[in-house]
Amino acid sequence: MNATQPHVLLVEDNPGDADLVRLRLVEGHSQAKIHCVNRLSDALAALSQEEPVLILLDLNLPDSRGADTFRKVMSHSPNIPIVVLSGQDDEALAINAVHHGVQDYLVKGGFSGQQLERSIRYAVERQALLAALEVTRKEQIEFKNRLLSHVSHELRTPLTCIHQYVSLMADGLSGPTTPEQDEHLKIALQGVSQLQAMIRDLLEATRAESGTMRVDPRCFDLANLVQQAVVMMKPAAQKKSIGLGAGIDAGLPLTFADPDRVLEVLINLIDNAIKFTPAEGSVLVNARMVETDPGTVYVSVSDTGCGISSEARPLIFERLYQQPGASDSSVRMGLGLGLFISKELIRLQNGKIWVATEPGMGSTFSFTLPAYSLATLLTPVITQDERLRNGIVMLRIELRSSVTLPHSKRKDIARQCLETLQRCVYIDKDLVLPPMNTTGPVETFFVVASTDMERSAIMIARIRGQLERIPGLSAPGVLTIAAAPLDLDADSSQAGGAGSAADDAASPSPAVPLEQQVQAVAARITTMVVQKLNDKPRCANNPNYAPNQKSRE
Amino acid sequence: MAKQKILVVDDDNNLVQALRVRLVANDFDIVSAGDGYAATVTAQKERPDLIILDLGLPAGDGYLVMERLHLHPKLQSVPVIVLSARDPETSQQRALMAGAFAYFQKPADNDELLQAIRVGLEPNAKTASA
Repeated sequence: MNATQPHVLLVEDNPGDADLVRLRLVEGHSQAKIHCVNRLSDALAALSQEEPVLILLDLNLPDSRGADTFRKVMSHSPNIPIVVLSGQDDEALAINAVHHGVQDYLVKGGFSGQQLERSIRYAVERQALLAALEVTRKEQIEFKNRLLSHVSHELRTPLTCIHQYVSLMADGLSGPTTPEQDEHLKIALQGVSQLQAMIRDLLEATRAESGTMRVDPRCFDLANLVQQAVVMMKPAAQKKSIGLGAGIDAGLPLTFADPDRVLEVLINLIDNAIKFTPAEGSVLVNARMVETDPGTVYVSVSDTGCGISSEARPLIFERLYQQPGASDSSVRMGLGLGLFISKELIRLQNGKIWVATEPGMGSTFSFTLPAYSLATLLTPVITQDERLRNGIVMLRIELRSSVTLPHSKRKDIARQCLETLQRCVYIDKDLVLPPMNTTGPVETFFVVASTDMERSAIMIARIRGQLERIPGLSAPGVLTIAAAPLDLDADSSQAGGAGSAADDAASPSPAVPLEQQVQAVAARITTMVVQKLNDKPRCANNPNYAPNQKSRE
Repeated sequence: MAKQKILVVDDDNNLVQALRVRLVANDFDIVSAGDGYAATVTAQKERPDLIILDLGLPAGDGYLVMERLHLHPKLQSVPVIVLSARDPETSQQRALMAGAFAYFQKPADNDELLQAIRVGLEPNAKTASA
């Protein structure tokens, strides 16, 4: 494109109107070169090919009418200025377009060449200005975040100095102190503590805003964590004679989240509750399951404090919001970032956080976290599939976990799956499961399932012999061999049964969560095995199964 | 019984002095260094039983110091506690992988720091830089 000859895209379906525009352009001594199309689809295609400096846009086209037209053009090319050409009866529409980001409009038949030229020039300049402003805005935000990180880092050095020397005195290491001095030093150290918390909050909030906050979710026991939080906050509660307790559902399942971060949120909420509750009040932490939402754990912190007004309620999770009316006015409120940070932390762990409150009655802050579900985290995958003979299949199944589970946990789960699979085996199925120990990130089973009872005994012995020869493989033995042939029809209903059991058990029930989850995984494996048995044979019989020769994962 | 010797490395002299008072009161011998170069020299000369190391140092930062310690056959096994103003979220992993066995962010809780020192000085403590 020639830099001195700007190219303008004219989208106009009326040839007469188009000619008029061309005429006006010449009259206005505009340098612009016109490319004219008469449909929206052609306009979008032209925009993809070569970007004009401006679009002259008639809103009523054969394939698009009114507001839709400018919306579609703007979403396709948000950075190219648009001047709308409106009919005399369409001025309201044109003005609406300007409100939505169109740079200008001209009424057809009502503009001179000069006006057209000026309109084009100004529209291009304004768009460039907007783009520059956006760049500046982004730079400013980035600078602000860098500044805050830098400041919170630098503040630590003098803070450390104060902390070190005041605690030297408070610990009697600078000479004996009077009780009054001890009291004063303790108060000074409280100030240091608060400063430390503020600096930490500042850094966290900056991270939350710049999207660099990290969480590290894993499987943990929420009940323990709640107890821990209560123990940590008991002294602060006791100072105000506030009763702090916890109510935890029996059989609460394991939670899948970042325990350090959840503790942070709990401490923040309990700390707020204590601050905004008068002496002799109470704060209760609850962890429970909700029947209508079985895959989620609900945690709440309720207080008998002053509550939150309805004007304040939408603001409290925003940054820098500091609630007035704490019952102890000498307690500094901190930076007002705690709830903002907590909101981000919960969001990053796939939870929600909200408040129910009544001024004068107290508040309940609640948040949710995903329950730990083995069935969603562990996927059985068939990585090897041999039809040994008619009615006998051999499968290698790997339990792949979508998160890093510790080795001992994996072995545990594999063992439990195995035991459960044994129980899932019905008397007329024949499942032989020599589990294979791996050092890799998966647990692997070999499953030999058979409908042919006579042959299978020999087959299994042979397979076992061959498996025993694989280096690094420990095969602790073959499991039960069934006594009757497989009834395939009964099996499909059992497979169906296993399938639906898997669905139900995939969401942990409060009663026996982990075992049911393991059952769900085992049931899926059984279903897969049975499906394979029912498959028509795809390849020739291969009685001489030799695992060594097969490609391994 | 000979007192155990701790080398404190930090360019903030005030902090070094405060730590000195506290650690001497806890029956340790203290030597100190204010930059990366002096840290390595002093470590070689004094053979401390444990090192408390800042990361942001002139003349070779804490990581460089740990590298040099690691290369020295007699100093490899000296346990290192990092005490730094830097955010653990960005620095802790790197420090631990560089050979430190603990990471404390300033201002550190003095009791926890002392506890970590005692753990580091236990015989057969698995704290040597790998």
